[in-house]
Amino acid sequence: MAVFTGTRIYEGSRIPSPVPTILEVDPERHSLDDILRINFGPNHPSTHGVLRLIVDLDGETVAGIRAVIGYLHTGFEKSMEQKSWWKSVTYPARIDYLSFHAHELLYVLAIEKLLGLEVPRRATWARMALAELNRIHSHLVWLGTSALELGAISLFWYAFDDRDQILDLFEMAGGTRMHTRYVQVGGLAEDLPPAFTSEARAFCEAFPRSVDEYEALLDRNAIWLERTKGVGLLSAEDALALAQSGPMLRASGVSWDLRRNMPYLAYDEVDFEVPVYPEGDVYARYKVHMDEMRQSVRIVRQCLDRIEETEGEPWIADDRKVVLPPRHELHTSMETLIHHFKLVTEGFTVPEGEVYVAIESPRGEAGCTLVSDGGTRPWRVKFRPPSLAALQATATVAQNCLVADLIAVAASLDPVMGDVDR
Amino acid sequence: MMSIVSSRYDIARFGMERFSSSPRQADLLIVSGRVTHKMAPPLRQVYDQMLEPKWVIAMGACASSGGMFSNYTTLQGVDKIVPVDVHVPGCPPRPEALIEGIVRLHEKIRAGVPPAYQLRGVAE
Amino acid sequence: MTYAGVPGLVEMREAYGETTLVVDPARLVEACLHLRDVEGFNVLVDIAATDYLGWGEPGVAGHYGTASGRDLNEPGSQGHARVPEPKPERFAVSYQLLRVGEEPARVRVQVWVADGEPVPSVISVWPSADWYEREQWDLLGIRFEGHPNLVRLLMPEDWEGHPLRKDYPIGGEPVRFSDEE
Repeated sequence: MAVFTGTRIYEGSRIPSPVPTILEVDPERHSLDDILRINFGPNHPSTHGVLRLIVDLDGETVAGIRAVIGYLHTGFEKSMEQKSWWKSVTYPARIDYLSFHAHELLYVLAIEKLLGLEVPRRATWARMALAELNRIHSHLVWLGTSALELGAISLFWYAFDDRDQILDLFEMAGGTRMHTRYVQVGGLAEDLPPAFTSEARAFCEAFPRSVDEYEALLDRNAIWLERTKGVGLLSAEDALALAQSGPMLRASGVSWDLRRNMPYLAYDEVDFEVPVYPEGDVYARYKVHMDEMRQSVRIVRQCLDRIEETEGEPWIADDRKVVLPPRHELHTSMETLIHHFKLVTEGFTVPEGEVYVAIESPRGEAGCTLVSDGGTRPWRVKFRPPSLAALQATATVAQNCLVADLIAVAASLDPVMGDVDR
Repeated sequence: MMSIVSSRYDIARFGMERFSSSPRQADLLIVSGRVTHKMAPPLRQVYDQMLEPKWVIAMGACASSGGMFSNYTTLQGVDKIVPVDVHVPGCPPRPEALIEGIVRLHEKIRAGVPPAYQLRGVAE
Repeated sequence: MTYAGVPGLVEMREAYGETTLVVDPARLVEACLHLRDVEGFNVLVDIAATDYLGWGEPGVAGHYGTASGRDLNEPGSQGHARVPEPKPERFAVSYQLLRVGEEPARVRVQVWVADGEPVPSVISVWPSADWYEREQWDLLGIRFEGHPNLVRLLMPEDWEGHPLRKDYPIGGEPVRFSDEE
């Protein structure tokens, strides 16, 4: 499919100037005496986490808006510079705490790119299956919380019930529901348990029916349509100028998915479709999320087939300079003992260089710039957060909105504040 | 924390499902996750807006002690700005752990332990 | 892919399958306009700045143990065989560009600046540079000339210092043990 579908959502560009992220009150359209400046957040039930929006209201219409962030800036990048490569892998999962496998995978892929390490096939398929299950998980949380904020409260419980089933799968594989630290440099930390494929298949059989039920509840619901159709428009040109990616971009008519256009892992070997909707409003983003969930189930099924085919194969690379050796060998081999000692006390070293790796996280293009000096600690880690780019579009997307529409728009941007502030 | 409201872990069994949108109508403040120096004044403001008696649960390792983030921007424990009744460990805590924390708080209250602001101030 | 027509090009480096174009800071905006309009890089994905203070010295964060540089591919050397090459200036600002279209491509544009030297802002080329540049000003203290709103983004407005610099301490508090007084 061609990348650009060519539909015009609106003429020209709506990006405010001089500052693209601040919408100033237009004195010709709104009398400056009528403007009420209110503060949305940082502690607010409807903003996704600690987001602060300073909104200038003319009655119910949003005349000006700016976003203030930084309330969750935890200093990930500086903390990771203090830890060895092995220990620093625990940090990225907590950046975007809803798509934890995606960021873990991203960081580990960056380290493996610098090392030039080859990962066994079984680990690649398992990583893909977990990443796609994580995508479904993230979209379910998005759906539950967005529907909750727009008034479709019962959907929260339906979506979270399915989400708990996915977290059970993660617990089976990685030992804990979230932030499993299961993705390891060289492959996976441990082999997948034997029941994983059958349980995951059972989930994939039951889940598409759940998605159909959610759509039956929302798709032709008059209130949902009234609140989401035509609200929060973003054209393809503005989306690219604001570095949007993921569902934001695909809902504006641009067929761009890193899994299809710049494949990583083994995404060029599986069949799936990339949903694209040309309308560019909140409803289109909702449809993109729902269709992506269905396509992820398709990908998971194919990955499970390959995982079953590679039964008994290694799940982590064999390079003893980087990967811990299997424990049973420690009793018999001297070199193994030395490798184990060096890896546990000092850690492995990564050659000097700078790389940028990007994956398609549930929110868009998540990237990691990694600079290594050849030592045992990262020199500089910079994560490119998809949610930051999405929030930069707030001023463009929230024009001509009412206050209630602002909630719908902020929900459709899908920001996770841990990702925005890091 | 969202999971405890869901149907599997169902905090409604313990009467705690009503998440209040306004601190003025709330009895319990659950501080979940890492708190930064920038977020500390709004958090204190929310705590001050609650009416007494009021209790605070610090949920997670990052709220209890700063967790794995010992750096320039993370508050090393939310008990530096609000007096905490129950600390729930974990990163992230399982829903069952948070439910256990809430149930223990119920037991403390039934046993007659005063809320934390009557017993101690905030940490140094 | 030849980038010979990029104005202000100082050096072109290929490593790990990625292309890095080192550009003269004074002609950065020209180079970015050329890359956007002629080469078709329509998305500015990220701006990542790095502080190279202490690069190659032993005992600085990033080095561990006694070696002043490790070469993973030199077996038996115990890491004493190689020291990383010194960098031209203290700060490197990397602009990650992406071409969304029929022929996807990525390229990195890099400028090297000293402490206090400003970098021209590319916000007129790609509006997405707004918050990226503000973040690098906030965390690393690199001033972007021409940015209409260069204030702190992540740290509180009255914060002093630029936290991600190598001479800024990690902060936090020391661990107190229970049998200490």
